Amino acid sequence: MLDALGDPTRRRIVELLATSGPLSVGEVAAGLPVSRPAVSQHLRVLASSGLVTHDAVGTRNIYRLDDRGAEALRGWLDEFWSAALSRFAEAAERESKESS
Amino acid sequence: MNEDVIMDDIPGEPAPPADAIVKTVHVPLAPDRAFELFTARIAEWWPLATHSAGHEDAVDLAIDGRVGGLIVETLRDGSTSVWGTITGWQPPHALAFTWHPALGPEEATQVAVAFAADAAGCALTLVHTGWAKRRDGDVRDRYVTGWEFVLGRFVAAAA
Repeated sequence: MLDALGDPTRRRIVELLATSGPLSVGEVAAGLPVSRPAVSQHLRVLASSGLVTHDAVGTRNIYRLDDRGAEALRGWLDEFWSAALSRFAEAAERESKESS
Repeated sequence: MNEDVIMDDIPGEPAPPADAIVKTVHVPLAPDRAFELFTARIAEWWPLATHSAGHEDAVDLAIDGRVGGLIVETLRDGSTSVWGTITGWQPPHALAFTWHPALGPEEATQVAVAFAADAAGCALTLVHTGWAKRRDGDVRDRYVTGWEFVLGRFVAAAA
């Protein structure tokens, strides 16, 4: 998830889908200064991370934010606090040893 | 170090929402010292390089220990970023704060931290709620709020 959102164009695509709702590849590309094949590639990376998904409508794929994104967000925050509190515990262990 | 806790076991504490993030860590310090380390000395242990808006440029993190006090990150160039506001301050037992790194206060989520003495020192329990809040009961809004939270962080990190 972090890698998928580490690219500014991919963040912009997610923002577009969040604000505009579902869009085709062409519609996403129209809103960005990158080629349509490049947009397709970015959408594949986002889809493989569970951030976007698509529905086939006729001959077109319509992309939208994946509902699993909320789950990914929760997992990300969970890791965030685990890492921070591990550092707190390490600091507390050091302090305990120094004063004993 | 971390384990999930069953909040229902704590008398008098309402259970957090099912989507709350709950973390417990046991440390070999009495609650008063753990509380001081967590708050007044947060810059000594918070992983600023990875858990901040400024990353390598972040040089300080400070909590103004009073209700209404701010949690502020300072960058190398002297600029600051407010992460939240203290909403509960009961040293050495508990504190609570709003949490909106890289976002405006209207996108704030809520974090509560409690310190309880145990045989080896104390147990710190952190509960993070509101990050999947519904602003008007509409599922799409909740969903978009979650995305704004994620994007806000990354946009700030990339700026």
